[in-house]
Amino acid sequence: MGTLTVAALDGEGALDPDDPAWGTVTATEVPLVPVPFDAQLNAYVRAAWTGREYGCSGPVDLTLAEQGDRLLARLSWDGSADPLGEFSDAVALFFPPAAGTAPPVTIGTRDEPVSLWLWRDRLPVQQALPSATQLVAAGPGVFRPGSANAGVSARSSRSGRRWTVVLAGPRQALAARRVGVALWDGSNDERAGIGAVSAAWTEVES
Amino acid sequence: MSAQATTSGDGNDAIEDRGEGVAPPGQVTMVFDLNKCMGCQTCSVACKVLWTREEGEDHQWWMSVNTQPGLGAPKGWEGMGGGWQDGQPVRGHQPSREEFGGGWDFNYQEVLYGGTGNATHLRPVDHGDGTTRWGMNWDEDQGGGEYPNSYYFYLPRLCNHCTHPVCVSACPSGAMYKRHEDGVVLRDESVCQGARFCMEACPYKKIYFNYARNVAQHCILCFPRLEVGVAPACARQCPGRLVFVGSAEDAESPIHKLVHDWEVALPLHPEFGTGPNVFYVPPLAPSRLHEDFSIDEETPRIPPEYLESLFGPKVHAALATLQGELARVRAGGQSELLETLIVYRWTDLFGRYTTDPATLDRTPDRVPVRLGRTSGSTAAS
Repeated sequence: MGTLTVAALDGEGALDPDDPAWGTVTATEVPLVPVPFDAQLNAYVRAAWTGREYGCSGPVDLTLAEQGDRLLARLSWDGSADPLGEFSDAVALFFPPAAGTAPPVTIGTRDEPVSLWLWRDRLPVQQALPSATQLVAAGPGVFRPGSANAGVSARSSRSGRRWTVVLAGPRQALAARRVGVALWDGSNDERAGIGAVSAAWTEVES
Repeated sequence: MSAQATTSGDGNDAIEDRGEGVAPPGQVTMVFDLNKCMGCQTCSVACKVLWTREEGEDHQWWMSVNTQPGLGAPKGWEGMGGGWQDGQPVRGHQPSREEFGGGWDFNYQEVLYGGTGNATHLRPVDHGDGTTRWGMNWDEDQGGGEYPNSYYFYLPRLCNHCTHPVCVSACPSGAMYKRHEDGVVLRDESVCQGARFCMEACPYKKIYFNYARNVAQHCILCFPRLEVGVAPACARQCPGRLVFVGSAEDAESPIHKLVHDWEVALPLHPEFGTGPNVFYVPPLAPSRLHEDFSIDEETPRIPPEYLESLFGPKVHAALATLQGELARVRAGGQSELLETLIVYRWTDLFGRYTTDPATLDRTPDRVPVRLGRTSGSTAAS
């Protein structure tokens, strides 16, 4: 995989996934693999998912852009056919610590937790919930709340099965110059550590 | 319920070490005497009005009374899996809002303001979420057996605050924990990510999902009341005086005597392997009637094998003990066991949780509500 270049986008509409400005930036395809079953830390999760297929979603088309001190990430992928069942489709962009050496497939480790920007499709009754949250991830599903004032937000659109989501947050998250992507197929009951994830870090340059 | 706790949990790394099956010394335990439960649902309503009145909680009955035999709530919960087997967690089913029976709503607007007078009657409104097709006690008075030997009894159910809580082990985010000071199983709702593995893993299916807030929720054993010496609302409000609350390790407590000395209080479905801290005195039954309506004194109307399916093989000895004590009293003797179960004074039910809530100082900054993993952690409620 090549290096992803952060584009500079002008205009107020960049948080809109369908804003024409995104058409001027080339997306990078990020291949995904299932979060390794052996990496699942939780005995119940292992018992519940033994023999069940998961993490088959992706790839994700990823575009990064900056507006001042804001980083915008546009992610596009084929979502589930039944997007509002018991579990929701979701996508995350995550950032390793600057000196981190762990691979992305576990979505962080105890020693090298990653900062994760999470967007999750919301039921009508969930519209009062934030559009996106920042979490600290220390392993598959080991997600804890991050800063309440992280300033992460998102907007989404859906055309057929194709989701397009723009996540926005502080540009300093990109300090390590690498990002990972995680994806959950809600129709397959995927959540927490059961999902698809970047097989390798995507290197980023300005 | 919007209470949240501040925790310093270490997430999934500690999960494998949690819930190894040793109850803390102060474990709060409950005993329900099923021979006194009349199914009035006062306990259910006491809990409902106290804890689950907010958005997303309409279908939640942390305390509910099921009629047995029956499918209960959620519908068919006893066959939904979960729990432990041979030290390993068992995959379970996540009950849906529909299986719980949805959140019942009624046509109040139409009845009260519709202008149709007595022509319109109160009726449930089906919002397509299970309402009118199931409910928290849909099996009410259906019972089992054939006339004249039909039978039923009531089974109050709430979180068992298990000694080996599989829900805690199943939580990947580390939001769930068992308090050291009293063994209450709690969830830090600010940490919960709504993964719902706890709902799958709980074999008793007493965990609900709040769709509006994307968090799971369950009985908190009224821990803010316990902390000021007040018994849980379900127990305190029970008009039948059938709910004991206290410590099973206090040798002088009625709970200790019922569970350990007389062994007449048993956990529900002990084979689930979670070590419940809610126990039940099993129901005695009237004798069966022969076809000529003469009494068959040798055969109980509630099939013993059915009670064994609920409370395990120890139920037979428990019933024999109860029947023996009844016979002793009928013969003019005394029975400490029956005196205990009669409960002449309500204060005998609750050990150190007999504080009258009306006497509490409710000045906000004087309400000593503590939320969190240890007695040192604090948060406002």
